[in-house]
Amino acid sequence: MPRKIDVASKLSLLRAFFHREGRAPSYSEMAEMFGYASKNAVYGPVNYLVKMGYLRSCVNGRLAFTRKITAAIPALGSVQAGFPSPAEEELLDTVSLDEYLVSRPEATYLLTVSGDSMQDAGIHSGDLVLVEKGGTPKPGDIVIAQIDGEWTMKYYGKDRQGVYLDPANSKYARIRPQKSLSIGGIVRAVIRKYS
Amino acid sequence: MSKNLSFPGLSSGPAPLMLSSFPRAILHVDGDAFFTSVEQALHPKLRGRPVVTGKERGIIACASYEAKARGVKRGISLWDARKMCPDLVVLPSDYESYSLFSKRMFEIMRRFTPEVEEYSIDEGFADITGMRGVFRRSYEEIAQAMQAAIHHELDLTVSVGLSLSKSLSKIASDFRKPRGFTPVAGRHIHIFLGRIPLADVWGLGPNRVNLLQEFGLRTAWDYVCLPLEWVDKLLHKPGAEIWHELRGTAVLPVNTQAWHPKASISKSKTFSSPSADRKFIRAKLIRNLESAFIKLRRHSLRAGELSVALRLKDYRESGLCARLARAATTASEVSSIAAGMFQQLYIPGACYRATTVVLGRIESDMTRQYELFEDPGKTERIRRMGSAIDDINRMCGKHTIFLGSGLHLKAGAGGDNGRNEPCWRQGHLLEGETRRKRIGIPRLEIVV
Repeated sequence: MPRKIDVASKLSLLRAFFHREGRAPSYSEMAEMFGYASKNAVYGPVNYLVKMGYLRSCVNGRLAFTRKITAAIPALGSVQAGFPSPAEEELLDTVSLDEYLVSRPEATYLLTVSGDSMQDAGIHSGDLVLVEKGGTPKPGDIVIAQIDGEWTMKYYGKDRQGVYLDPANSKYARIRPQKSLSIGGIVRAVIRKYS
Repeated sequence: MSKNLSFPGLSSGPAPLMLSSFPRAILHVDGDAFFTSVEQALHPKLRGRPVVTGKERGIIACASYEAKARGVKRGISLWDARKMCPDLVVLPSDYESYSLFSKRMFEIMRRFTPEVEEYSIDEGFADITGMRGVFRRSYEEIAQAMQAAIHHELDLTVSVGLSLSKSLSKIASDFRKPRGFTPVAGRHIHIFLGRIPLADVWGLGPNRVNLLQEFGLRTAWDYVCLPLEWVDKLLHKPGAEIWHELRGTAVLPVNTQAWHPKASISKSKTFSSPSADRKFIRAKLIRNLESAFIKLRRHSLRAGELSVALRLKDYRESGLCARLARAATTASEVSSIAAGMFQQLYIPGACYRATTVVLGRIESDMTRQYELFEDPGKTERIRRMGSAIDDINRMCGKHTIFLGSGLHLKAGAGGDNGRNEPCWRQGHLLEGETRRKRIGIPRLEIVV
C-alpha cells in the first residue's frame, strides 16, 4: 500500500521557506525540511506536488514554485476539491463581529433599549442597539429621535403631510411631530446576548 | 475670503506681512468644553443644563457653557461652584468615554489629511497644505467640512482656526468660541495680530509677557515688529520660533508621532481628609511612586531623577529632588530613596493633605547601557519584575500587587478619597463587562 503523504504540512513548510529565502529549496534542503533521511525519499512528494501544480521542474532539472505557493495571500479558490487546506489560510479572509456590525466606527454608539414599541421588529427591552449618528435616515429605517422633547425609537417614514414615526407594536399609534423633531441616530444593528 | 474676518477701522493700519493667502494651511481643532460636551452628547437629558466634571477631585475639571455663563470656571472648588449655581450638575470624570471621543475626533480629522498631531485629549493640529486639489474645495471649505463632520458624528462642537502656522492657528481657534471658525490668511495676519494681547500667544507665559510689557509691548503685532536679533537676545530660540510662526513662517512641525511624555511624569493625590499619620502618609507617597512607574513603563521609558513633595494642611509644600545613580524602571528600585527623602521632609505631628512624586530625566528604555561594575543579570531581573507586575495588574486591576508599605493605606480604599463615586458608564456595566474591561464604544443614556 502506498505511503500517505501529508501534503498540507509540506505546503506550509514550502511557503515558509519561500517567505524566508525567496527561492525554491534544493532536494537536500527539502529532505532536511521534511525530516527524511535520504534525498531519494523527497521525489515522491515532489512528483505529487508537480502533478498538483504547486511545483514545476525547470530545464536545468531544478525545481521552481508556481504562483500557488508564491502568491502573497493564498487564493482559496485554487484549492482543489477534497484537498485539505490549512486552516490558517482561511483566517486571512474573515471579518470580526465588530467589522460586521459597525461600518462607521467613528459615528457608532451603543444604546440599551428599555421600551417595547419596536418589539414586532424584533427589538426587545434590554437589547443593545448600535446607533449611527450623522446620517440622513431613509424611509423604513429605524431611528432614535427626539419628538416634541421625548426620545423614542421608531420606524422613520415620510408622506405628503411630512415626517411620521411608526411603532412596531399594535399597542401604539403612528406619531407626527407637533413642534419639533430631531434625529439622534439610525439603528444599524441589534445585539442580544443570552447568558 | 476677507468676508470671514472684518476689522473695521483698521484697513488703513500697518502694512501686510505678506500678500499671499495660504502658502501653508494648518488647522487647529479645539474641543469646546470637551469633557462636559461628551457628557451632554451621551446623556441628552443634561443638554442645556449647567454641568461640571471633576467630582472625584473636588475641583472643577471642565465646566459646560451653561455653567460658565453662571460664573463657574475650571479650577474652582465644587463648594464655591455650588454656591454660585445651586442647580449645578456635578459628575465624576469618565475618562474612558472622553478618550473614546478624542480618538474619534482625530480619526475624523485623518479623513482629510494624514498629517494630524494629537496635541492633547481635546485639541489637535492638521496640516492640510495641498489638499485643495484632492477635495476640489478651498482650505476654508475643508476646515468647515471637518468641523461639520465632528459636530454631526460626535454630537459635540469644536472651534477651528485656519492659518499658516501652528501658533497662528492656535490663536485663531481661540478667537471665536464655541463653534467658531476663524481663518487667518497671510494677507490678514497683520490685522489679526493687532487684536491679540501678548498673553494669548501660545508659548508666552506670564513671565515672558511681563518682561515684554516692560519694553512697552502690548499686542502680538508689537512682538512681530521687533527685530529678530532683539527677540533672539531677549527670549532666545523659543522666542525666535514664536516670532517666525506669528509672521506666517511655519517652523514648528505638525508632529504625527503618538504622544509620549518627554519631560517628566508626576503623580499627586490629595487625601480625602488631611492626616498626621506618618505610616499612612508614607504609604500614600509610595502608592504615587508606583502609579508613576506604571505610567513610565507603559511608555517604555526610564527615569534618572526622582522628586518627592509633601503638602501641609495649610498648602505649604516642601520637597526634595535626587539624581539616581542608575535610571530606574520600577518603584522597588527607588522606594528606599523615596522613604529616605520622606524621612527628611516629614515633620512629626504636622497635618498633611497631599503627596507628589515627579519622575524626571526621562529617556527611552529601548536601549540600555550597563555601568562598568553593574550586574546585567540583576538589571534584567528588575526589568522582568516590572513587566510581571504590569501583567498581573492588567489582569487583576491596578495596584493588585504593591509594595508592602501600601498595607498602611485604609483597607479597601485603594487610593480612594471618599468622593470616588463611579461614573455612569462604570455603574451600568453590560453583561460580561468588568470594572477593568468594557466595550470600546460610547454608550448613550437615552430611554427609548
